Amino acid sequence: MICILALIVFGVLGIFSATHREMALEAFDCVFRRVTLRKCDSGLDRRLKSQITGKLMAKNPAVARLAFRHFELISWFFTILFVASTVYAGIGGYNYYLYGNCNGPNEDGFCIFDPLGSNSKFSAAQADESCSAGPQERGELTLDGVNVELFPRIDRNAANDVVFIGCYACPYTRQSYPAIRELLARDDVDFAFAHLPVKEDIRAASDILNCVNEAGSGKFVEFNDELFSADASVLENEDGLLDAVGRIGLDREAIRQCSHSERIQNLTRLQISEIRKTGIYGTPTVFVNGEAVVGPKPLRVYARLLK
Amino acid sequence: MNVENVRRDFPLYERRFNGSPPIYTDSACVTLKPNQVIGAMSRYYREFPACAGRSSHALGREVSEEVKRAREAVRKFIGAGRPEEVIFTRNTTEGINLVANSLKLGNGDAVLTSDKEHNSGLVPFLLLEKKGVRHKTFQFGDLGDFEKKLTGDVKLVSTAITSNLDGTSQPAKEMAALAHGNGSLVLLDGAQAVPNRKTSVKELDADFLAFSGHKMLGPSGTGALYGKLDFLKALNPFMVGGGTVKNSTQEDFEMEDVPERFEAGLQDYAGILGLAEAVKYLQRIGMENVERHEQELNGYLSKGLAGPGMAILGDADPKSRGGVISFNIEGIHHHEVAGILHESANIMIRSGMHCAHSWFNSHSMDGSARISLYLYNTKEECDAIIEAIGKIKRLI
Repeated sequence: MICILALIVFGVLGIFSATHREMALEAFDCVFRRVTLRKCDSGLDRRLKSQITGKLMAKNPAVARLAFRHFELISWFFTILFVASTVYAGIGGYNYYLYGNCNGPNEDGFCIFDPLGSNSKFSAAQADESCSAGPQERGELTLDGVNVELFPRIDRNAANDVVFIGCYACPYTRQSYPAIRELLARDDVDFAFAHLPVKEDIRAASDILNCVNEAGSGKFVEFNDELFSADASVLENEDGLLDAVGRIGLDREAIRQCSHSERIQNLTRLQISEIRKTGIYGTPTVFVNGEAVVGPKPLRVYARLLK
Repeated sequence: MNVENVRRDFPLYERRFNGSPPIYTDSACVTLKPNQVIGAMSRYYREFPACAGRSSHALGREVSEEVKRAREAVRKFIGAGRPEEVIFTRNTTEGINLVANSLKLGNGDAVLTSDKEHNSGLVPFLLLEKKGVRHKTFQFGDLGDFEKKLTGDVKLVSTAITSNLDGTSQPAKEMAALAHGNGSLVLLDGAQAVPNRKTSVKELDADFLAFSGHKMLGPSGTGALYGKLDFLKALNPFMVGGGTVKNSTQEDFEMEDVPERFEAGLQDYAGILGLAEAVKYLQRIGMENVERHEQELNGYLSKGLAGPGMAILGDADPKSRGGVISFNIEGIHHHEVAGILHESANIMIRSGMHCAHSWFNSHSMDGSARISLYLYNTKEECDAIIEAIGKIKRLI
């Protein structure tokens, strides 16, 4: 059994070293003979057994005895362990491709392909309203019963429907925005943006966003571009937000007045109430054709969910 | 013989493997080299790196003179009558092949070898079978069987004096006498005998004796073939070319004298000088001392290793096995024994069939572990081997 492990290990090392290439060939011959129900006669298994036992014997004879007596069993154990790890690594790689992390949809455990977990982090949607990342109670995420018509949106009667829930001030929403923006650039996507002001002091941004949306079709996208690229401190004062309004060619005073209106503030409250109905626990949360993805994912993860 | 002084001559003992010097006990394969041998080889390259026997300039003359001295040193070492009777070869294998292919053997002739020959002493004669030469075997060391197989058609007896497999020796002198009585020539494989005890071709009355330099402190790729002058003159050299002819025309050539006619092409002069230095080194130590030292160590080690599960091949009396202990431990493969000894205690031994496949196959064995001691091994090393093998036995 040790020959199987030797084949894989020496096979990899053989890419870089001619000596290991020969050993890999020897291991292959051994494995091939075993598979074809013949005796492995290269002596590789014995050499490995004696090398391992000998090294152990120099350190601890009792462990060496155990290894020597149960070498085949130990080889089986490591082989099974290796095969299992390979399968899990494969599943992890597959998950990483599909969901941006190794552990499946909206999981955030350690992933070797994304060791910093940058694809899986999110800001808490309601804990202390500080955009902090952390464990949240996670319920089912759904758009059922949510009136997405309330949010700023681009309707093209397209085949795909994307609802992006995020917060201007939260780092992971900001991190996800470039991919979302690319998604939005496709003409087969209907898009809605639901701003969830996790921090109370940026609630004004929601009001202004609604006014911008009313001021011109699709203007909210330009406004998003401004705010997601601006320094986060800008978001905390009305002047900063209105400067952005000015940069996209709208009347800042009109927008200011609009944003202070009871109607708009009620709309914002209603929107937040609708957002909560999704069961959201972190931003960004993106629904692509009804399927929720939490955290800043690579574009391919969103694109895969498109029809 | 002061072993500690001897060991100081061997630079390998300055090396450290996992912090300690190696315990080298694979001398039946290749021995370590003393500084004197390394120095002699180096001297050739530094002082007179030229052709012998061809160029008349100072360097050519110098190297010719050194090779002549080397031949004389080897002659003395094996007790040959004349330096021309010593042909430099690459090893024992070449010596045996030279005789096998140069003797005028043909259809109906037979060659008699033992059943415990090294492949070098067996395969050349198996190849001759294609030319109609019969190959017969006798049981190694069994004079009765030898005499029985020594029939009129046997033109050559070719056999090892000492087996590399287990260190056991044959009564070569008596066998040579019987062979000569039968009108057969005698080719002795001295690879394991010449390095380990005083060997005199005159005393043995061998017609040919082949041996290697690398098993007697000499450089790798060196050896010699002794042959009685008249027999050498009667041989047809099977490898010819530069250095083997006095003159040639487009149609014919005039063969060089013996031994040059057998030394085709440019020779390994550094190796030849190294071999001569090795011979002198052994003579300074005294071959009787070398033999006694090996026997003492073998006796000590064999006693220490004896016990349940241990099977030593060959004669039960360690004194009959020179420096060789070939063994198997029940329940553990010989390759594993060798590997564990190396990994756990820096003990270097040989495992396998030791190029004597035919004997192991005919005894349904797949080999053995082999310790082969030489003049630089010590009792302390034997103690380390006994301790390590004891630990290995406890693994089972």
